[in-house]
Amino acid sequence: MTAVAVQGPGTVPLLTRAASAEWLRLRSVRSTWWCLLAAAAAVLGIGVGTALDEADMAEASGSTASAVLAGEYGLMIGQFALLVLVLLAVTQEYASGSIGPTLQWTPRRGVLLTARVTVPVLVATVAGVLLAVAADVVAVVVEPSLTFSGGDLADSVGGIAAVLLAGGALAVGTGLLLRSTAGALAAVFLLQLVLPALLPAFGVRWMADLGELLPGSAAIWTLLGEPEMSAGQATTLLVGWSAAALAAGGWSLLRRDAG
Amino acid sequence: MIEVRGLTKQYGAGRLAHGSSAVRAVDDLTFDVRPGKVTGFLGPNGAGKSTTMRMVLGLDRPTAGRALVAGRPFATLDEPLRVAGALLDAQAVHPGRSGRDHLRVVARTNGIPVRRVDEVIDQVGLGPAARRRVKGYSLGMRQRLGIATALLGDPAVLLFDEPMNGLDLDGVRWVRGLVRELADEGRTVLLSSHLMSEMEQTADHLVIIGRGRLIADASIEEVLRGQGTGRKVRVRTPSVDDLAGALLRRKLRVHPTDDGDLLVEGASAETVGDIALEVGAAVHRLAEEHTSLEQVYLDLTGDSVQYKVSSTKELVRS
Repeated sequence: MTAVAVQGPGTVPLLTRAASAEWLRLRSVRSTWWCLLAAAAAVLGIGVGTALDEADMAEASGSTASAVLAGEYGLMIGQFALLVLVLLAVTQEYASGSIGPTLQWTPRRGVLLTARVTVPVLVATVAGVLLAVAADVVAVVVEPSLTFSGGDLADSVGGIAAVLLAGGALAVGTGLLLRSTAGALAAVFLLQLVLPALLPAFGVRWMADLGELLPGSAAIWTLLGEPEMSAGQATTLLVGWSAAALAAGGWSLLRRDAG
Repeated sequence: MIEVRGLTKQYGAGRLAHGSSAVRAVDDLTFDVRPGKVTGFLGPNGAGKSTTMRMVLGLDRPTAGRALVAGRPFATLDEPLRVAGALLDAQAVHPGRSGRDHLRVVARTNGIPVRRVDEVIDQVGLGPAARRRVKGYSLGMRQRLGIATALLGDPAVLLFDEPMNGLDLDGVRWVRGLVRELADEGRTVLLSSHLMSEMEQTADHLVIIGRGRLIADASIEEVLRGQGTGRKVRVRTPSVDDLAGALLRRKLRVHPTDDGDLLVEGASAETVGDIALEVGAAVHRLAEEHTSLEQVYLDLTGDSVQYKVSSTKELVRS
């Protein structure tokens, strides 16, 4: 048998294949489904519960609250189950050493990187948006005094998608850079939740300022309208942090030894 | 065909100079692995076998030199599994996925039909276990899954890193048979091992490395012959002096051994037996000894073993 130079099918079909393999890879492990279940419980449970509280408070003050609060509050916590899903899709291969084999069947690392960023992040975003809308609907069914307008919903869904896309990109990038589930999980939690919530609590000016530079602050603003910042600032933070994380993680996958 | 040219991998910073902390895991390796043969890639632990294979597969970046698979750098191949299949580490599989799902993921990346997945599952004898999660697999089953993955694209080049590790006798015999079959079909097969005895029964050609450097690149026969090891006959007799004298008169080279036997070089058992009869020496034991490849290997790599046992000589004798 003589070696034949195999003519490749071209980059676009390769990307489609790699993406389809990533999708199958995600579907065929239980951890993905556990994460989705946890996200569903968090978004629906916390989201609907909080929206009902808001409805009561609004009623007491003679105003109304919007049902989209359900999805937004729910996602505030539920996003972490989705970020774990994204992160595991990347770091699990470093834990088991299977990144080596993966690069044997997808040795063009740019192709792998594109598929590995796109598929898990899109899965998490779509799942998050669907869960948030479901929470809104459940909330308005349980408490019809909640207002539920198309405009609110569009705004809300846009914000949630932006938060999940940015958070997912941050998780993928961190995972590729640190190559460790524990390390990347800690980093993402600190940046996305712990530090943005903790730093302002010290009452020290520079700490609060620092906290407002973290991606989590922009995510919280997008979902809940706090802390005080402009849409431009929030966008800059979300885009800047995801781009930086993807650049660092991409460098790690493209340039370093497989690991 | 695998072509390795001046391949070098250095860990640690700086140029390799005095006082530098840099380590050369692979040092200027050049060799070819040809089709139709099983090429044994041999060396002590830490000699650089796995690092070399990882560089051939584009997983690790060489400090210098290059490796070509079917004429191209592996990392530029669009459908690499149709060109080369490899098993480096059977444990490197997600434990939560079933063997069949694992193969389906792999097949998808190279546009290989699912039908082929079931074919290789049958070929390696994974059978119904393929639908169970890899978590519950024995090492032998993981090796079979890894080999199935390597065969998936029906490639002309195959690389196996220590595929017999942890296999029971049946498994070892199966791998040996499979590897022979693959080479007989005209494929290029590179098989690494630190076990010489295994290679003696499986490989046609040997590439031996030690401390990252090439020690030998030759057929098994050449490696044995190159060591100048002809036949030897070991003979035990109570009349050592008489027999030794008679053998020496026939211009044969005779060495006494530690346990009082005589080792006769370049003679057959018949010759030594006849000579003993002529001088009336009783023979208590008479045996032809072949220098094993293992011994040659130990001699060849003796200086290059990284973690040396205190006395290699003792190992050779035992």
